Amino acid sequence: MAMNYALKGKTYQEVTFTVDRDRVLQFCDAIGEDNPIFRDPAAAKEAGYDEQLAPPTFPTVMQIMTSGQVVMDQELGLNYMMVVHAEQEYEYHRPLKVGDELTAVPRIADAYARGPNEFLVIEAEMRDRSGETVVVARSTLLSRGTAGG
Amino acid sequence: MEPKVRIEDLQAGEEAFSLSKVVKREEVKAYADASGDQNPLHQDDNFARSVGFPGIIAHGMFSMALVAKAVTDWVGDPGALKRIRVQFRAPVFMAEALVARGRVDQVDPSSRRVTLSVWAEVDRAGERQLPVKNSRAEVELS
Repeated sequence: MAMNYALKGKTYQEVTFTVDRDRVLQFCDAIGEDNPIFRDPAAAKEAGYDEQLAPPTFPTVMQIMTSGQVVMDQELGLNYMMVVHAEQEYEYHRPLKVGDELTAVPRIADAYARGPNEFLVIEAEMRDRSGETVVVARSTLLSRGTAGG
Repeated sequence: MEPKVRIEDLQAGEEAFSLSKVVKREEVKAYADASGDQNPLHQDDNFARSVGFPGIIAHGMFSMALVAKAVTDWVGDPGALKRIRVQFRAPVFMAEALVARGRVDQVDPSSRRVTLSVWAEVDRAGERQLPVKNSRAEVELS
């Protein structure tokens, strides 16, 4: 079963997410991040930031909620067992930091077939409380061999 | 904070960094818990075999995290990283040595932007595989 390409442009329910200090530390431990700017608010302040920063790929934690809604959408008809993560992009407007309260409206930026495979691009523009964009995340998922079926 | 690298010192084509780690099963489990991605492909060998792999593979984002760390370690100031885009092109198995590497591609003194080619490689039975390839990072130096 091919997915429903007509859903390109569809938006989903807004997601809210707070960058939690313990979660950032847990994430740092998991990726082997030892830079104190990501672990210690005092070190971040010394480097000129007002708070401990989150590592550049930390927004992936919020994407479980943004992308999650899209991949579970029955109307889209994605077979999640056939899906692999093909591409990931982050566009940073400022570094993410502990205490940031983010919101994002997940959106299907693109959906298409190429050869036997299908591609789904999910975009989440993560904004802070003042409405300023912090990071734009774009994930490309590849559904293996499901085109034209 | 001051970046470690100065734009005046950079030349297109030069190697920027190389950062390696051996991928361990307990780290991949810790990554599943920290990221929230509990896909069994990264935890359950039987499941991984059922979809054609010899055993569990690391999350693509686990490799991206190493590449991003290599960039921010190199540049010094994490705030200098403006964009990173990676393609996941090959699996990473447990106990493999994953190496994140980068090369300076473009240096634009007027915008202070430096574009890097970035990738991650493993040596698999004497053959170089690229789990992360065709990828780019952009940093802005003050």
